[in-house]
Amino acid sequence: MRSVQALLLAALLALSSAAAQDARFVPVEIFLDSAQPVAAWQFELVDRNGRMTVVGVENGASKAFTGAPYYDRPATQAGEVERIVVADYTLADAPELPTGRTRIATVHLMIVGEADFEVTLVTATTADGQQIDASISLLLASFD
Amino acid sequence: MGTQSRSLIAAAAVSGGLVAVLAGIGACTVATSHPPMPAPAPQPEPSSSGVVYQPPDQELWVIAKPTEEMTVVMDAIETDQIFTATLQQGRSAYEAEALSHGGATARATAAELEVSDLDLLGAGAMVASFPPGAEFRRPRFIPLPLKHTGVEAVIRGYISTVGVKQRFENPFDTKIEAVYLFPLPEKAAVSEFLMVIGERTIRGIVREKEEAAQIYRQARAQGYRASLLVQRRPNVFEQKVANIEPGKSIDVDITYFHTLAYKDGWYSFVFPTVVGPRYNPPDHADPLGAVSRGSNGADPAAVEYLTPNERSGHDISIRLDIDAGVGIEELKSTHEVAVTRPTRTTAEVALKNETTVPNRDFVLDFRVAGETMKSTLLAYKDPETGDGFFTLMLIPPRQATAVARQPLELVFVIDASGSMRGRPLQQAKEAVATALDRLGEDDTFQIIRFSENASQFGPVPVPATARNLGAARGYLSSLQSGGGTEMIQGIKAALDFPHDSSRLRFVSFLTDGYIGNEVEILAAIQQRIGASRIFSFGVGSSVNRYLLERMATVGRGVVAYLGLNDSARTVMDGFLDRISRPVLADIKIDWGAMTVSSVYPSALPDLFVGRPLVLTGAFTGQATRIGISGLAAGERQTLAVALDKNTTAGSTLAKVWARSRIAELADRQAWSGDPGGELREAIANTALRHQLVSNYTSFVAVDSLMRTAGDHGVTVHQAVPVPDGVRYDTTVQ
Repeated sequence: MRSVQALLLAALLALSSAAAQDARFVPVEIFLDSAQPVAAWQFELVDRNGRMTVVGVENGASKAFTGAPYYDRPATQAGEVERIVVADYTLADAPELPTGRTRIATVHLMIVGEADFEVTLVTATTADGQQIDASISLLLASFD
Repeated sequence: MGTQSRSLIAAAAVSGGLVAVLAGIGACTVATSHPPMPAPAPQPEPSSSGVVYQPPDQELWVIAKPTEEMTVVMDAIETDQIFTATLQQGRSAYEAEALSHGGATARATAAELEVSDLDLLGAGAMVASFPPGAEFRRPRFIPLPLKHTGVEAVIRGYISTVGVKQRFENPFDTKIEAVYLFPLPEKAAVSEFLMVIGERTIRGIVREKEEAAQIYRQARAQGYRASLLVQRRPNVFEQKVANIEPGKSIDVDITYFHTLAYKDGWYSFVFPTVVGPRYNPPDHADPLGAVSRGSNGADPAAVEYLTPNERSGHDISIRLDIDAGVGIEELKSTHEVAVTRPTRTTAEVALKNETTVPNRDFVLDFRVAGETMKSTLLAYKDPETGDGFFTLMLIPPRQATAVARQPLELVFVIDASGSMRGRPLQQAKEAVATALDRLGEDDTFQIIRFSENASQFGPVPVPATARNLGAARGYLSSLQSGGGTEMIQGIKAALDFPHDSSRLRFVSFLTDGYIGNEVEILAAIQQRIGASRIFSFGVGSSVNRYLLERMATVGRGVVAYLGLNDSARTVMDGFLDRISRPVLADIKIDWGAMTVSSVYPSALPDLFVGRPLVLTGAFTGQATRIGISGLAAGERQTLAVALDKNTTAGSTLAKVWARSRIAELADRQAWSGDPGGELREAIANTALRHQLVSNYTSFVAVDSLMRTAGDHGVTVHQAVPVPDGVRYDTTVQ
């Protein structure tokens, strides 16, 4: 982990399905909890089983982050991947920046078989670029 | 009709057998940006008395706010062409005039505007009269999912970043999948794809084409909302949006980059609005067909077209934010636009009438201060990888002297297929006739026509004697259009005969490029080009610019465009002035402290006055200053180009390079066959690395948060109008 101030909250979840080999679509919601206003963040989502295929990255709940977050190149690799890095930033004024527990992104995944997720906060910063203490967590938004 | 509408009277006088349908409520498509219109009045049956709409007072009326502009759409029965004209408010009259493309003229004039009517918003009246026996067909509204296309372009220097928003709405009472085939500029590097559902924005992922399609199919089948963007041709894309529920809408936002064309001091921004109906030779492996609305079951890969009297309600908005970096002296457009000029170097441009039928290219040209134009080098280094990318715009030096004109062997290849019928073929003939007037005694020429087969003026090129030129003009005027577009026949006829080495052979194709086998065409040119140069001439309102540009690139020539309302003589005169006298040949570049690789185009063409050369490449080392040399009038001249340190293009340069690389690799693939698949892999890797759509990569986005109820519903293909000036009956199956 590159950010010494970031708090890691690993969420280990095992997904299983009766029809394990059928492709299922799963939204993974990512939450950031910070006492200070957050202007930029970056997290890494890992599937320890390497069964996830990224099919979309959605914006979070804060209106300060207007567009959808960006992803790194592994998300585009063919087939299933083990990890992706998602990041976003905003130039919004401090009063508009999110504090407290905020959904910062939803990663839409296609999964065949079982997945074992872990999310790690790489960094979170204030508007002036200072790293801040924050924790990150994930929630599987729905199951079919 | 209310009394207020009768007080504004308009008359339309129509000649040449053209039937003008004054667009209006219920009648067809009057475009206004006004308060909601009242319900349409009952429409009478068509009249053969010469009046389109014949209420007791013999007025055809439209609901329009008399204080603002409104657009009249005229539907010419004879030629199946649709014309738009904007009524301008005058002191006491509204007036609109539209030249038809079949030679007839339609003119509509509104008069007797009463001052009191200005207060009656939403009121207006118009009368149309027609020649005896004229036929009237009332346009019919067809509910289709694509509601709106919004285009927002930011132009900085010669690099354009364009956002396109497509709004899909489900007007039906069952769930649908919308499928829409649409054009983008041939150099567009599509690099961003967002699916927007309400306030939720989902960024799509670039994936290999088959994988993206599989993900989309799975999501669709399971009831998830999903979208897929596939490249069908470098300038034709297919958008699919799955599981749109009744009454709901989904937006798809696309972003692309490209470099603007520059010619004789003018930059040109082009946004194509419709894919022209393509001809596909029999047994072609990857056809792009043209079928009538609702008949896509037999050919799901084809473009569906509306008949001339159908309207879909799809509208379009276009806005441009231009900062040329140098003074902008003049702007002109194919469409009526509103222009504001915040500063000398900037302009804001907006399409005025957003309900214009999107059936022709939107072109905005802006002329920059000629004295300030100079060659520029833009460079960018990726801070993470250290990879460098550059774009060089090389403008011919003013001091360069045009080389003496060598004797020419000019070969004109005229597309006389069905899609060229009417005004396009007429324009092509006029252009060739102009060129014939310009030939000298030492020149030779040939005229070849092709549709399903090829024929030619003479067995071999003949000297440009008065007698031969006279006979050629007769041959030219006798040419008729019809049949398919077997361009390969024209290429064979133009390039498969011995070259007279004492003359420069210029082959000029005059075509709309409406074919589906572009790859075969480019391969055939590459195999046969030899010492010839190809100068492609796009004729029409929505031509296949990808084919025309690539033909010129492969043929080491240049491209020109001749719109339906352009002066063929002026365009061809200017074209010949340029192509017959290159100012800089045998170009060599000293890259200085840069170590360059993968420079495109890899074969440097000659440089012509007013036609800059745009190169893009990868580099390591330091971009500072480079040197260019070339032969001008037999002497080697040099010039230096310094790095522009103020550019804001940044990472866009990497995508521009990647797009050029993909285009050239695709060309090589076309003529090599790529037996080992290395070129395919190189294209896919380049596209994935730079997150671009290509022939082997697509964008896919899935909303996995919620499943819609039921199965995936009905697939609805978005039917589009045929391009302005193109006949429906000769092009659509």
